[in-house]
Amino acid sequence: MNEIASVLGRAGLLTAEQREHWKMAWLSTVDHKRIGILYMVTGLFFFVIGGFEAMLIRLQLAVPNNTLLHPDTYNMLFTMHGTTMIFLVAMPVLFGLANYIVPLQIGARDMAFPRLNAFGFWLVPLGGIVLHFSFMAGGGPAVGWFAYAPLNETPYSPLLGVDYWALALLVLGIGSVSVSINFIVTVLTQRAPHMTLRRLPLFTWMIFINSFLVILALPVLNAALVMLLIDRRLDTHFFLQPGGSAIMWQNIFWAFGHPEVYIVAIPAFGILSEVIPVFSRKPIFGYEFVAGSTVAIAFLSLLVWAHHMFTVGLGHAVDLFFVASSLLIAIPTGVKVLAWSATMVGGRIRFNTPMLFCVAALVQFLFAGLTGISHAVAALDWQTKNSYYLVAHFHFVFVGLIVFAILGALHYWLPKMTGRILSDRLGKWTFWLMTIGFNLTFIIQHFLGLAGMPRRVYTYPALPGWGWMNMVSTIGAFFMAAAALLFVWNLAASLLSGKPAGDNPWNAWTLEWATTSPPPHENFHELPPIRSRRPLWDDANPDRPDPIIGTKWKAETTVPEKNMTAVITFIISESGFFGVLILAYLFYNATPQPGPGAHDLNLLKTGIFSLCLFASSFTIWRSEVSLHKGRQRAMAGWLAATILLGSVFIIGQGLEYRGLFQSGLVVSSNLFATTFFTLTGFHGLHVCVGLMALLIVLGLALGGGFKQRPSPVLRAVGLYWHFVDAVWVLVFSAVYLLPHLR
Amino acid sequence: MTTAQFILSGWTWNPSVLVTGTCALVIYVASFRDGRRIGWFAAALAVFLLTLLSPLNTLADGYLFSAHMAQHILLLLIVPALFLLSLPRTLSLAVGPRLFAHPLAGWLAGVGAMWFWHAPALCNAAVASRPVHALQTVSLLVLGGLFWRQILAPREEECLSPPRAIFYLFSACVACSVLGVIITFSPVTVCSIYTMPAMDRFGMLQTIRTGWGFSPERDQQIGGLLMWVPMCLIYLTAILAQLARWFAQPASPPAERMS
Repeated sequence: MNEIASVLGRAGLLTAEQREHWKMAWLSTVDHKRIGILYMVTGLFFFVIGGFEAMLIRLQLAVPNNTLLHPDTYNMLFTMHGTTMIFLVAMPVLFGLANYIVPLQIGARDMAFPRLNAFGFWLVPLGGIVLHFSFMAGGGPAVGWFAYAPLNETPYSPLLGVDYWALALLVLGIGSVSVSINFIVTVLTQRAPHMTLRRLPLFTWMIFINSFLVILALPVLNAALVMLLIDRRLDTHFFLQPGGSAIMWQNIFWAFGHPEVYIVAIPAFGILSEVIPVFSRKPIFGYEFVAGSTVAIAFLSLLVWAHHMFTVGLGHAVDLFFVASSLLIAIPTGVKVLAWSATMVGGRIRFNTPMLFCVAALVQFLFAGLTGISHAVAALDWQTKNSYYLVAHFHFVFVGLIVFAILGALHYWLPKMTGRILSDRLGKWTFWLMTIGFNLTFIIQHFLGLAGMPRRVYTYPALPGWGWMNMVSTIGAFFMAAAALLFVWNLAASLLSGKPAGDNPWNAWTLEWATTSPPPHENFHELPPIRSRRPLWDDANPDRPDPIIGTKWKAETTVPEKNMTAVITFIISESGFFGVLILAYLFYNATPQPGPGAHDLNLLKTGIFSLCLFASSFTIWRSEVSLHKGRQRAMAGWLAATILLGSVFIIGQGLEYRGLFQSGLVVSSNLFATTFFTLTGFHGLHVCVGLMALLIVLGLALGGGFKQRPSPVLRAVGLYWHFVDAVWVLVFSAVYLLPHLR
Repeated sequence: MTTAQFILSGWTWNPSVLVTGTCALVIYVASFRDGRRIGWFAAALAVFLLTLLSPLNTLADGYLFSAHMAQHILLLLIVPALFLLSLPRTLSLAVGPRLFAHPLAGWLAGVGAMWFWHAPALCNAAVASRPVHALQTVSLLVLGGLFWRQILAPREEECLSPPRAIFYLFSACVACSVLGVIITFSPVTVCSIYTMPAMDRFGMLQTIRTGWGFSPERDQQIGGLLMWVPMCLIYLTAILAQLARWFAQPASPPAERMS
């Protein structure tokens, strides 16, 4: 074990005094650099597992009528392969990369919330363990990564696999939201002086925009998973007949699932936007357009999910609108491809390994985009939807763009992280093996798909051409596996005996290259002056610096308070979660359900308890005002009143539940009861969390912790409390008032 | 009646609309003599007149929910925006109660106009009753103006800064598309008056239902989709304009140069 410590020590990943307890130094770290590396190592570990699953799938498909794998095993393997690669490989690796690079690029000392950062990371191994534990609990999930209803329901998937799958994704989703909140707050509040928002390096800009996509999209999935788990564990019927709707699952899943594609693609765009200019020795062509098109892509990605459902039969009208909006995405992505290409034109291009991977990613992404456009056309989509044509398309996005960009990023940034250069010779071997293997595997799958080979089927008959085409695909997969092994070899060799990288091995221009490799614990001893988007270029070329990016807007330079920013971001993400639950309630109760309904609820009693909750918004506001005026005792008094009013509401809700239970209404009675208990129950849970936060604040206040006024903590908790109340306004209107208006 | 006949004869010569349009033109020309931005005003006037006089209005008047939705979007989001763009850049809008200048008021005006007028009872009333219909039209224009002044006020300093504006527009878009999603997938009819038109003044019902293929269900779906997709694209256009404003290269102040 001491060898590991000494290798880590030599690579600059441990300080001398940490050698003795190196495991604790890493396990208990809250340093963004170490957390970033932990994310990436975890991602690499699961990449090996997911890759092994892929190899088994390709071996099974190598020849027609193969019996290597049992059909059930095959189903589990492709489910686990998809889930692992997206949630346990692509997202953690990109989060890890961003965790390491973003604070450095903005000249910060760490992330805004280091402990939250560690929490977000540790949810990844937890989620991975929960997901894989399903194998010990009777069998892995065998439902595809999107787990379509009703296959994901108990009658069709009686084993525990789907439960563990949903639980794992819930855990991972919470982790993703927490790290993204951290990214947003870090970029908004931790930037070095003069690092204005319009001077941000593009990678950081894209992580910033992407984080908004994460906090909007993941809660939607979380809501769907919660509903699925309630269905499975409490015998309800959200997505199951009688009454439930399988299409509802698809709508919610793809409302998350389409943005998810961009959640992993936008960081890859960010990587390309960093690497291509550096190795072309030119600033990026059209920074503003690359940055702006990211916003357009993020916006559109939330708008087009129904194009995943052309074959479901939503109707011509729906299809037409989503054909049009999906085709629109081609414009901002095209702008990006154009900008990257134009950056290379006329540059002195250095084809080092990072650049090779990024150029290949660009070309392959262009190809993926073209097949993507063909999928946006509903008529063509009907023909190719469940075929290998689609498999080939999304692997061109996920591998051709994202994995290639990640490999480019690792070859680019690893010297900064370890202080050791990776072998360019081995890197080029990795690149060519990977490129040949990838294209061999997936180009031919387009033709297999057009020839009609369906996806997700464990074997195929010996139709003309299918056998050799699949064999070619399998051989290609082995090339990719070899490339992965070679990369790990290169990494190990560089850690053991790589040449020192120096501060700035690529002559790059962003701030992470201004510090040592690896950076000291506090990241920077001093920062170069920041006047443009390429501070290190200006530093090295004082005679011809970049044009100064002035400050025009107050918003670029003002630093918002970090607790408030975090709570606002958290509220945005919570709105997504409650939005889905409220919409589900409205959808399922649009026509009265058979059996008990909203008319059986006691409007008056709940109305009185609701008034208590609404009044508590007033008392918490008074509490803030008292603190602002320096009246500590009054502040504590109003705070206690708030807690009291909130508790009265919760007790009232408990009494209401007891009454309903006594009258025989339980969550599985009918869809009204299911949606009612889910919606009000989750709101109640949030009230309880709010009460806990208020109790902590009250404890702090009584301990005299608020000498500094106005306290951002009280304001932040107060804002959250207002949000909980505001949600109840909507829930109360939808559940209790709406039926009386009809 | 065939489609071609309808396009020719479906125009309504509503005197109050014509008078309003003429008065607006006269007032605009008289007030802002330099007329450099009259193109925007002409566009606003043209959209206003076409929305309320063309066959679209006839369709919205009892035949098609989706036509009503198109009219709703044009009146709320297009006409006021074009009008604000037509004002000279020196004009201050800081008149009237301070409350109206608050971003939250603007946001609630834009989003509220969408939700309020699609409550089933109000949606039906606006078709069945002339005064309610007139009230709806006027309120859409006014509320749209309140919404857009946060973004398109002639004076730069009276507009939201680009990041705030983007947040404003994005959240408004989400709040409206939620309603669009509800209308699209709702198993119940939002505006029941369109399912059974009281009178078929133009003899068009046959053509619409069978020729155009607008069954009442599909009509409502298209109405919801108009609110969901194209309307979001209007907000997206505004967001892109804000990004352009944000990234426009300013002359850097001398203090910055020295630092």
